[in-house]
Amino acid sequence: MDFRFTPEEEAFRKEVKEFFGKELPPDWPGVDPDQYHEDAFDHIHEFSKALQKKFAAKGWLGLTWPKKYGGQEAPLWKQMILEEELTYRGTAGYDAYQFLGGCGDIVLEFGTEAQKEKYIPPMCRGEVKWATGMSEPNAGSDLASLQLKADLQGDYFVLNGQKTWQSAAHRADFAPVYCRTDPNLAKHRGISIVIVDYKTPGITMRRLTQMSGLDAFCEVFYDNVKIPKENLLGQLNGGWAVVMSALNHERTYGIQLIVNIKRDLDLLVQYCRETKVNGEPLAKNALLRNRLAEMAIQLEVARTLGYKVNSMVLKGQNPMATANQMKILGGIMTQRVAILGMQILGLYGQLGPVGGNWKQMDEKKDKWARLGGRMKHLYLTTVCNTIAAGTTEVARNGLATMGLGLPREPKPAAPAKK
Amino acid sequence: MDFSLSEQQEMLRKIARDFFSNELPKTLVKEMAQDARGYRPDLWEKMAGLGWMGLVLPEKYGGSEASFLDLAILLQEMGRACLPGPFFSTVVLGAFTIMEAGSERQKERLLPGLARGELIITLAVAEPNAINSPDCFEVKARKRGDDYIIGGTKLFVPDAHVADCVICAAKTAKGLTLFLVDTKSPGVTCTVLPAMGGERQCEVNFDQVKVSGKDILGEIGRGQYYLDKVLTRAAAAKCAEMLGGAEQVMEMTVAYAKDRVQFGRPIGAFQSIQHHCANMLNDLDGCRCMTYRAAWMVSEGIMCTREVSLAKAWVNEAYRRITALGHEIHGAIAFQHDHDMHLYFKQARVGGVAFGDTAYHGEIVAKALGL
Repeated sequence: MDFRFTPEEEAFRKEVKEFFGKELPPDWPGVDPDQYHEDAFDHIHEFSKALQKKFAAKGWLGLTWPKKYGGQEAPLWKQMILEEELTYRGTAGYDAYQFLGGCGDIVLEFGTEAQKEKYIPPMCRGEVKWATGMSEPNAGSDLASLQLKADLQGDYFVLNGQKTWQSAAHRADFAPVYCRTDPNLAKHRGISIVIVDYKTPGITMRRLTQMSGLDAFCEVFYDNVKIPKENLLGQLNGGWAVVMSALNHERTYGIQLIVNIKRDLDLLVQYCRETKVNGEPLAKNALLRNRLAEMAIQLEVARTLGYKVNSMVLKGQNPMATANQMKILGGIMTQRVAILGMQILGLYGQLGPVGGNWKQMDEKKDKWARLGGRMKHLYLTTVCNTIAAGTTEVARNGLATMGLGLPREPKPAAPAKK
Repeated sequence: MDFSLSEQQEMLRKIARDFFSNELPKTLVKEMAQDARGYRPDLWEKMAGLGWMGLVLPEKYGGSEASFLDLAILLQEMGRACLPGPFFSTVVLGAFTIMEAGSERQKERLLPGLARGELIITLAVAEPNAINSPDCFEVKARKRGDDYIIGGTKLFVPDAHVADCVICAAKTAKGLTLFLVDTKSPGVTCTVLPAMGGERQCEVNFDQVKVSGKDILGEIGRGQYYLDKVLTRAAAAKCAEMLGGAEQVMEMTVAYAKDRVQFGRPIGAFQSIQHHCANMLNDLDGCRCMTYRAAWMVSEGIMCTREVSLAKAWVNEAYRRITALGHEIHGAIAFQHDHDMHLYFKQARVGGVAFGDTAYHGEIVAKALGL
């Protein structure tokens, strides 16, 4: 057992920190790891694109990927440190869908040689943005019931149907889209993945506004969209294996939520030290001390579990169960920090601009907002953190069945036909 | 970072687990709860034969110089087995305090016997009006010639009723000081408190007890310094014991959920039960990571007051939640005294207030945050 970082790890961490120290403005308030900030606002998106190029110059995009496709073949621990540091700073420009959410990894794992040569090098050069097309109006947690149709007609798949709640789609160039290619097979078996270029005719998008006020995701409609058949990723009707792999690559999502929220806890501690209410410093308020300590304890537990996931991956063990735990903890914990933040700010908690203080606030309108309205934003936006990338309930099912070997719940009987 | 145990540590775990599954059935644990002494001397001797009392002691005192983490692994198995008796008192409270504060002569006199299992030692800190605030302690030691006269009441002293020696923290004119008190000294009386767990805790009265100046442990007035170190380790050690219990509850509960059939299927196939189990596993893995990290830091001699507090605060609450859900899933069967669940339910509560409850450790964390 050893809980230390190696000198090599420390040195890389320092390099990453120095990079952010140089490239981010000193008052950079940080964007959330779900990328809603940078997808919603043009000026962050532009900054993000510039930073993406700088990441590429450092060799940090596709850090662990084969050199042949523009990667660095660096050891995985470097990627983990990079992710941790960029999440703590709330850095923009590190496309979650390419590098964290698995788009790049599934192309490398399931793609043909031609696909890898076509799609991976531009990712490593920081030239593209990806999204991922899973959810549909009637396929949320039950992803395997998805209905977007892809008919193979000659050299093309013809896509018809709809995806929804698609993060980043309006900004993205490409996405692996999960389609129904055989309606006669059992629902898990008739699914295939095609790589869609979003500029293809027949695709229309509508941005959806989230309850936080950010318009950061989309409905995507497919009307006779012709996708070349060489864009099939993996086997025809073998898409479920890709789904599983993609979800496995999202293992870091929970860790990111937790690392990101540590910054908010630090912010709240500082606020309590500097703020008096009714003549008493908040830091002396026994209830708040207790709640902040409780939060710090929970975050530390979750963070240590996150290191365990990393250590399991590095040892070649399957981290799925622990990663599921991280997803559960990450979602719940971000909501708890937001609730605590709102409690600490009291009446002021309700004030602030959409998205929080990632830009100059309106001197007049926002003059009473505290912590730049960050807690209000967090309170509203973290509602999705127990839902996105698999709900907490689905993750608990997975943990119980895969992690603890409990039997699966039998499928309910089909409803009687009228 | 490396979260795995070494081969030797895995071996120690296996030996301990096999030993307790052979030697300590839960029927015996429950029997000991009614026993005047509270433990079986023959089992104690076997444990000494395995070298466990001296596990972390230097070789020259008959120990095997294992690490604190090794001890934590052993304690984890003891918690899992609900081992009754004075192991924790003697090794974690007694031996560590002597190692920390004792003179060479005191170590030579006490530690070899302790390692052989011939000596039971405990530590008396809490009092009716003070749990861990030295300013409020009322037990006093007055100097008279070369001797000291100790007077007052200590509470919740583990295993004092069977101990040969109590290390008593008493106030002198120069501050808090540790005294080695022979329990057979005139004026020492000991009453077992009717506590709910298997662990025996006592009220110890010191009525004009004469102690030689030679039996002062460490420097006069430095008692708090030694106690801080020992009680931090004790908190980490208690986490290990509780972790073992929590693991057992998790395993028992999952096994039961797979086995128990209601509505025509194992109850573990219902999502409500699955979610309870998933929540238990989250809590348990947190206990494991935090406890091992704290124990590892103690082993490495790294400053870890904060990390021990993080661990203890988490384990206190997480273990309580784990036992509560364990009971919920077991249903009525585990409400019976025959069942083993209640042993752990009580262990969680009793352990949760030993060596700092959640509020106490939370405050240490709050201070470390800069509040």
